[in-house]
Amino acid sequence: MPLEHEGILKELEHVTRPFEIKHIRSLYEDSDPKMHDIAYALIVGDNHEVDRLTGQALEDGFSANTVMDDGLIAGMAIVGIKFRDNVIFVPEVLISARAMKAGMAHIEPILSESGIEPIGTVIMGTVKGDLHDIGKNLCIMMLRGAGFVVHDLGVDTKPEEFIDAVLEHEAGVLGMSALLTTTMPNMGRTIEAFEDEGLREEVKIMVGGAPVTQEFAEDMGADGYGENAIACVDMAKELSGVDGVVPVDMAD
Amino acid sequence: MAQPVDRERYKASLDRLYDIFADISDTVTRVSKTRCPYKNVHDRCTANFGCRNQDRNVPAGELYVCTGSDDLDYRSAWEI
Repeated sequence: MPLEHEGILKELEHVTRPFEIKHIRSLYEDSDPKMHDIAYALIVGDNHEVDRLTGQALEDGFSANTVMDDGLIAGMAIVGIKFRDNVIFVPEVLISARAMKAGMAHIEPILSESGIEPIGTVIMGTVKGDLHDIGKNLCIMMLRGAGFVVHDLGVDTKPEEFIDAVLEHEAGVLGMSALLTTTMPNMGRTIEAFEDEGLREEVKIMVGGAPVTQEFAEDMGADGYGENAIACVDMAKELSGVDGVVPVDMAD
Repeated sequence: MAQPVDRERYKASLDRLYDIFADISDTVTRVSKTRCPYKNVHDRCTANFGCRNQDRNVPAGELYVCTGSDDLDYRSAWEI
């Protein structure tokens, strides 16, 4: 099928490596124009349009698999390439991630109806006194992409707010981020707060952020440390008892 | 009811998305050594905290201009 979407054709100009040209171009050439609309809206970060188009495509009879593969993930593939080649930067990636979340909101109920449940629930927040959130937001994007339900507590999060969220959402994993050496100790104070409430065994706690190290994580009593966003996903899976990238209930 | 999800295809989709995000994570590590991650493609600051590299002389409602050079460690300019 000839590819006629002007926006996608322009975006494909950013794909310059021979293998990627062949792989990604054929992906788009083999898919429906309505999927091109979804992919393009995701690439440009229009979450409202992704929301509308995804809902419409599902109503029109496209399968959740098709919308994911040919719309949302196809779009995110180009976002990744543009980011790698310095065409866009972290804020634009996160805007596209927000658009992807809007699309996935339509997919998730269908996954659930099909017996595919989230692989776990994670609470994420930047610790008290710290307003840096970009690393946390990248982690959240990737955790959601891996099949976790994530509740984002934002920045400047007090220990009691972490505790309340873990209890309210029955989360198995808590992730804390800090970017300042001055606020890093608040991770340890939050862990102590869980101990004081007798809840430490109820949740696995992982930590991360530029100044945080494996040694610091161990010293404060965290269960895991992730040095970057994808390591955060791997750690969350490990702490949740998920093997590889396959959701538990899909392993059979 | 919508068509049921094909589990094997869904698993392959998650694998593919994981690969895309792994590449993005690697790029973040590389790019953030020189360019502040809060600085968008238009060289505007998206941070919700103060930074000495912010030029706040912009119309109301617009993001501050980032004056960071990308040559120096941007983190020393963060004010919180």
